[in-house]
Amino acid sequence: MSLSAKQSIIGILGFLFLLSLVFVQYEEVTRRRAEEGLGERHIAVPETSKACVDCHAESTPAIIDHWEGSTHAETGVGCVECHQANPEDADAFSHYGETLATIVTPLDCARCHSQVFDEFTRSHHAAAGNILASLDNYLAETVEGNREPFNPHSPTPGRAVTEVNGMASAFVGCQQCHGSKVALEGTDGEPITVDDLAPGADGLPTNAAAVARIARDDIGRPVFDAGTWPNTGIGRLNLDGSRGSCSACHSRHDFSPRRARQPENCGKCHLGPDHPQKEIYEESKHGVAYRDLKDHMNLDGKDWVLGEDYSQAPTCATCHMSGHMRNGGKITHDPGERISWTNRPPISMVMDTDAQGKVIKATDPEERAALVVDSWQDKRQRMKDVCMHCHTGAYVDGFYKQYDDFVVLYNEKFAKPGTDIMAALLDNGLRTKSQFDEEIEWTWFYLWHHEGRRARHGASMMAPDYAHWHGMYEVAERFYQELIPQARHMIEAAVEEGRAEAAHAVEAVITEILARPEHVWFESETGK
Amino acid sequence: MNGITRWITERIPVEGDQLRELTNEPVPNHLKRWWFCLGGTPAYLFVVQIVTGIMLAFYYQATPDSAYESVQHITEHVSYGWFLRSLHKWGATLMIASVILHQMRVYFTGAYRKPRELNWLVGMCLLVCTLVIGFTGYSLVYEQLSYWGATVGANISSSVPVVGEPMRRLLLGGEEYNESTLSRFFMLHAAILPVLMVMLLVIHISLIRLQGVTEFKDEKHPERDEGTFNFFPEHVLTELIMGLVIMILLAALATLLPATMGPRADPLVTPEVIKPEWFFYVAFRWLKLFTGTVAVLSMGFVVFVMFAWPFLDAALVRRFPKKTDLHVWIGIFGVLLIIGLTLWEAAVAH
Repeated sequence: MSLSAKQSIIGILGFLFLLSLVFVQYEEVTRRRAEEGLGERHIAVPETSKACVDCHAESTPAIIDHWEGSTHAETGVGCVECHQANPEDADAFSHYGETLATIVTPLDCARCHSQVFDEFTRSHHAAAGNILASLDNYLAETVEGNREPFNPHSPTPGRAVTEVNGMASAFVGCQQCHGSKVALEGTDGEPITVDDLAPGADGLPTNAAAVARIARDDIGRPVFDAGTWPNTGIGRLNLDGSRGSCSACHSRHDFSPRRARQPENCGKCHLGPDHPQKEIYEESKHGVAYRDLKDHMNLDGKDWVLGEDYSQAPTCATCHMSGHMRNGGKITHDPGERISWTNRPPISMVMDTDAQGKVIKATDPEERAALVVDSWQDKRQRMKDVCMHCHTGAYVDGFYKQYDDFVVLYNEKFAKPGTDIMAALLDNGLRTKSQFDEEIEWTWFYLWHHEGRRARHGASMMAPDYAHWHGMYEVAERFYQELIPQARHMIEAAVEEGRAEAAHAVEAVITEILARPEHVWFESETGK
Repeated sequence: MNGITRWITERIPVEGDQLRELTNEPVPNHLKRWWFCLGGTPAYLFVVQIVTGIMLAFYYQATPDSAYESVQHITEHVSYGWFLRSLHKWGATLMIASVILHQMRVYFTGAYRKPRELNWLVGMCLLVCTLVIGFTGYSLVYEQLSYWGATVGANISSSVPVVGEPMRRLLLGGEEYNESTLSRFFMLHAAILPVLMVMLLVIHISLIRLQGVTEFKDEKHPERDEGTFNFFPEHVLTELIMGLVIMILLAALATLLPATMGPRADPLVTPEVIKPEWFFYVAFRWLKLFTGTVAVLSMGFVVFVMFAWPFLDAALVRRFPKKTDLHVWIGIFGVLLIIGLTLWEAAVAH
């Protein structure tokens, strides 16, 4: 064989070898990229959902696009897997041969995520719908709106407004965070809710008469009460008896863990004058570090374990929910598991919780001890376990001493006295039971619901400006310059009306409070 | 002679003429063809690997607790660390590829034949060292795939009868992957094998110098390959051009496809897909085709044949004197088999 023939053989084989190396490297790089979540995603459309995907890719392409970016799409969880319904479900309807429901409730998600469902169901998040019977909702339904529709009192140019929906503020405001009580329209005009359907543990309605009243559209779909749906409030009261909405945090239809890990996700609700956790976080060192180092925080990581996958900064999820090295990476969907004070009520309470996850209000130590299932100390230790990834034990203990002292100061100096004054006014008939019909009720509401919470939340998350200027400073100003003068004004008015005894009873309460060492400066001549 | 030159020559008694003679080895004209420069390429890449390897060793820590983190530190925090690591990674790939290409050239041109059989054996030893140094280097990253690749590799070696089990224990420093394993791999990778390779390279090049480069002539145009040319500077410049091309290729690969990091090694979680480095794909696929000892013994037989090839080839030539190109056809079959098995392993997950 000639040298040139051998040259050709070496050339051809060498080229083939190098070509095969290019292929091998391509495969290796592709595999690596896939491992890191950077590669082209493999979408597995299950057989049951092929028709849905084909049709909705035309009619609602963004829904399909979002779903294709989800882990569900990779693992073969399609439309039907989540939207499938039992024919007996109140909101079930037939859609191209499949029995579906529009709303996917936590009970539906529990078919695969049962542990998450259990954790979430016992959380305070799941109970957020309880606001529907609270003071806040009274504000939206009555003070801001009206529980019944009413007639407009003048025309709206260009628009024929015939009726004013008095619940509009509650629907659009409160309930979009706290959750609506989902209702179907009834054939008799009355809405049908979970109360009417009386679902069993399996979520199926037990009240056939209520089911029979459900109004349906021309293709047989049940018609939702437009005030209650769309709604992704976290404590939504669903037709199947479950509470909450997983998509409150895991936005549909990509259900991105990355997004749920970012504080902006929580900021849909945890912001504003009454509980500005998002703004407080942004002001804190934690938030500053997050803004700076977000790109290094491995937010796309599979498990996102603090100390393993990232350690640059904590987000809301890090401290309240995510797994970390000290707990073996265990995630919780009950954010209350690591919170030791509840700063929601006028007077902060420690988070001793009972078997139902409710905060124990009993004052008798023995009664409390009998009820406690998860103590505030246990909860605090869980949070400390998170803190101590970045801080020493002494540092964390020091922080909690400052925080505890702050909350106790607020409780003792303003919250409890304020509560006592408001109770004295009510008990002695100087104010009515009706809320927000007297100026002092607005004053008191601002004091604890807005300024008092801002102060406590500011202290809890290391935002000094919120703790002080947006918090305690305004609490003090509201207490001394508005609450006390307004209460005294009501006392004077009562004396003038001939109710001297009642007025003096309230005055005695105020006098006793202002004579306390922490308040004595207010009316002393020396100002000390 | 000025004072400085005299001072040096008194202490290093080498004359300029002697130095010129040493470097001006006449080189046969056929070496002007680029494909005869493939022997210099792995040597050049070996130097790149030593330089980048030393720089990486400044930061690398060979313990299970800190190996992964130290590589992560190199990749993410050390200035140009990612580039050095990528150069080292791609340098290894190109070095192995060029060693294989060099060996192919030597094989197909019959340059291993008498009197160069021993140099073929030295070359084979260098090939094995290159593969083992690649294997140990891959394992040092301590990521899931490299950890499990090392574990599987050690288990495979235990299938070799008699010596397999002791070999595995020697490699791992115990019954299974443990705290000593990484330091053993690091010592092999950064000290023992490089020193061994330098010694083998000295022997390899010395034998070339002693025996001279095999002379080839194009039968159709013998005049093309008549005569010789100087090693320095002519051949050195050709090698330099090859080296610069390789450096550009290396820098481009390191920049466009930088070395990444998989998940940290977790001895408790076996990954769904375990792959060794690409140069072991052939062996990996071969081992999957057969079972246990049969696979290992047949693989051992192939390696033995490769080592002993100059002598087996001589026997074949004696047996079939008219079929002098038999080795070419065997070689074509062998290379196609290697390419086929490599592609097969690359294309499938398991």
